[in-house]
Amino acid sequence: MGAELSRHTEGQGVGASVRRKEDRRYLNGEGEYVADIQVPGMAEVAFLRSPVAHGKIKSIEVPEAYRDQVFFAADINFTKPIVAVSAAKGFKASDYPALTSDKARFVGDLLAICIAPTRAEAEDIASACVIDFEELPAVWDIEVARKPDAPRVHDHWADNVYIETRIQTGDLDAVRKAAAVTVRKSLRMGRHAGVSMEGRGVLAHYDRRLDELVVHSSTQFPHVVRTIMAECLGISESKLRVIAPDVGGGFGPKNNFHPEELAIAALSMKLNRPLRWVEDRREHLVASPHAREHRYELCAYADAKGRILGLEAEVVVDAGAYSVWPWTASMEAGMSAGIMTGPYDIPVYHARAITVATNKSPLGPYRGVGRSGACFAIETLVDAVARAVNREPADVRIENMVRPEAMPYQSATHKLYDSGDYPECAKRAREAVDFAGVRARQARGEPDGRLIGLGMASYTEQSAHGTAEWVARGLPVVFGYEPALARFTPDGKLILFVGIQNHGQGLETTLAQVANQELGIPVADVIVRHGDSSVSPYGMGTFASRSMTMAGGAVSVACAALAEKIKRIGAHLLQAQVDAVTLANGRVHVGDQSVSFVEVAQAAFLHPERLPVGEDPALEVNAVYQPGRSTGAFSYATHACVVAVDAGTGHVEILDYVVCHDCGTMVNPMIVEAQVVGGVAQGLGTALYEEIPYDENGQPLASTFLDYTIPGPTEVPDVRVLHMETPSPHTRFGIKGMGEGGAIAPPAVVINAINDALRPLKVEIGETPATAERILHEIVAAQEARRP
Amino acid sequence: MKTTISLSINGKPRTVAVEPRMSLADLLREDLRLTATHLGCEQGVCGACTVLIDGEPARACIALAVTLDGAEVRTLEGLADDPLMSTLKAAFQDKHGLQCGFCTPGMLISSWDLLKRKGALSEAEIRVAMSGNLCRCTGYQGIVRSIKAAADQRPAEAQGAAR
Repeated sequence: MGAELSRHTEGQGVGASVRRKEDRRYLNGEGEYVADIQVPGMAEVAFLRSPVAHGKIKSIEVPEAYRDQVFFAADINFTKPIVAVSAAKGFKASDYPALTSDKARFVGDLLAICIAPTRAEAEDIASACVIDFEELPAVWDIEVARKPDAPRVHDHWADNVYIETRIQTGDLDAVRKAAAVTVRKSLRMGRHAGVSMEGRGVLAHYDRRLDELVVHSSTQFPHVVRTIMAECLGISESKLRVIAPDVGGGFGPKNNFHPEELAIAALSMKLNRPLRWVEDRREHLVASPHAREHRYELCAYADAKGRILGLEAEVVVDAGAYSVWPWTASMEAGMSAGIMTGPYDIPVYHARAITVATNKSPLGPYRGVGRSGACFAIETLVDAVARAVNREPADVRIENMVRPEAMPYQSATHKLYDSGDYPECAKRAREAVDFAGVRARQARGEPDGRLIGLGMASYTEQSAHGTAEWVARGLPVVFGYEPALARFTPDGKLILFVGIQNHGQGLETTLAQVANQELGIPVADVIVRHGDSSVSPYGMGTFASRSMTMAGGAVSVACAALAEKIKRIGAHLLQAQVDAVTLANGRVHVGDQSVSFVEVAQAAFLHPERLPVGEDPALEVNAVYQPGRSTGAFSYATHACVVAVDAGTGHVEILDYVVCHDCGTMVNPMIVEAQVVGGVAQGLGTALYEEIPYDENGQPLASTFLDYTIPGPTEVPDVRVLHMETPSPHTRFGIKGMGEGGAIAPPAVVINAINDALRPLKVEIGETPATAERILHEIVAAQEARRP
Repeated sequence: MKTTISLSINGKPRTVAVEPRMSLADLLREDLRLTATHLGCEQGVCGACTVLIDGEPARACIALAVTLDGAEVRTLEGLADDPLMSTLKAAFQDKHGLQCGFCTPGMLISSWDLLKRKGALSEAEIRVAMSGNLCRCTGYQGIVRSIKAAADQRPAEAQGAAR
């Protein structure tokens, strides 16, 4: 394993910026998303959702005309609730039913299914239903939830805490005594949403010939959805097919098993009728699994030069009303506390991670899970330490980093960083953003009076998690492997059947590049099939920056085995020695003679009499890949940005944004770079714009794109991306996953830049999104505090 | 209560009966099975459903079909043979202007209109002109570069067109 790869970037293999195979159908408007699929006899669904955050359901009145078009929990009482339990000791389980019948626990909780020929008519029915609630006080905030006398989100719980975990590494008392400076920080990261451009959607119907329920869902992991859906429906997985067709963006919110999926599948089974639900934007913002909502209490102990000797952290996360499957409610706080020391060599670390339940939409994974909060926490803290010792944050940052000679490095949170040069990465970002030039510009001042600020932030991103890593997290499914079935057709094309799901990552191209690397087969002759539980071997899907390392590894292993067989057959057809032949351009070569893969495939499938003695017919290999070590391959990056802050309005403009990153061997640099930039855009949303606040009644205050701002073309700067390539020793080709990384650092780097700009005003922002209103409020508060 | 309207869709005359509340997007997608027009917000904000109505870009999600009697509607499907659209599509592939593909039809229609109307364009001008179209995957960089490349590939007279 590892770095034995011979690079041929001018070709189509690993390292080439091959243009994407999947683009054609999208550019012609021929992508097929759930909402584009119709099945004869299909009815449309509108859910009746709770308009209150917390209330006992006394009755729901359905107008006489609609009695046979509205369905409740009792109508699908054969379903089991979704229960996502962490193996962590003391975790409190929540029953997340397909439809709620006892009490509503958040605005958007599912109460009933309304069906009609069109969505508009189904919505008419939902709005005609009258719900009688006994309203209960809403648990609308972390502080409210943690009060001893708080109402309980789940009545049988002793308190509203899902789980509290601790990490205790090293002697904190010794560090407290030794420290020259102690720096404290309180931070908040707002609640927001994943906001794929296509919302979620489900279409279920029964296939009479195959005697199976077919469920199309806009999901990132169709095989795993089949497993849990079959269990909740009480049927065998052999009677259930889950298809993820084209998926219009995932980002995490489509990486859970949703009650909507269960409800539609169950009612379709019950009625023996095709049903389709297409999530609208309001439903997505209010009731899809939300992202983040972290609070931090941090304390760094450092020496006089800013070397951090020890760190204390309390992470509190508002995980909403239910624990999502399979991640469980504990994921955000656990991952944040578990990666908090980031790229830094901080030997002593004590943390508490607390996850509370509230009357809000459940929290789920979103690109950069846990780590965007952790990065925000540690990186703003590093800047604060630098200010406390009156040094340049960039210097303090770099001096605290894990040295390259320390690799592999065991962190205080028991992560094993595999490879890389973190200080060099930070230095390159600092240079690229013209650190000295920005400091000179700050000293000069701006003609328009705006304040210039420079920020930096670094992180590590774990990928290629193996079995032991997932076992350690205590999840219901262990995602430590990935399969690939590589199958030739008799006419010489190669079809890769994989268990991942491609929704923008370019995997229909990059997996073909891996096949090219192993087989010398033109990328145009490779077809990648995915997203269908009846098509490929069982696989885990696309999340956690895993698909390129894991499915790429599986395709590599399968194609390497195919290459051996093709060489044997080709050599036989060429009457040459096996070790004398090579594969290139879809042919087996020896000297100036060659046979095509078409001839090889014809021999394998149609003319076994042409095969060498003892060679089995057919030309396909099924492989399963696990990385060389379970501890993962760690990508890393430093982001640096320059902002201009208008102290009169609080408005922030990003003047420059640089990313220097290292994701090991890049399969397709064009795609890698675009994944980085796309992640940065989302992270800028977290940093500056996106928020779903709740009022004291538990009502969400952002439910449309008019009150929830995602970055547009004028909000996202032209991001400059610098690449380093340190291959991972643990993965095929040395690939490290990188799909999420771009989204991790922006909140930290932008807040650091804003705080650098506001330093003359003695103002520090500690909350995202750093909206203009919030920044202005802090500036005014600081002015008033200084007034005699 | 349905109203019968006659309109041209992608150059073909159509007579359809629509409810007053039916959007053009639903007419296209559900009744006529023209699914290149995507719905991202149904509030007229995200631009995924952008089509051309009488030659002007419009949001199909908030255009009521009943108001379009006599109108000429063109969707991405109806620009399959258009040379400028072919240039744009090739540029979007070459400059990696799409990822999941959901916002792409709206991006193509809006940029097609932009290139029809405007001469030489800077990346900054493209960003402003495209600010009515949202994308969650690309961070816009690939989209802006794609449009810029397509704009620069046009014949000289088109690039110098009066603003």
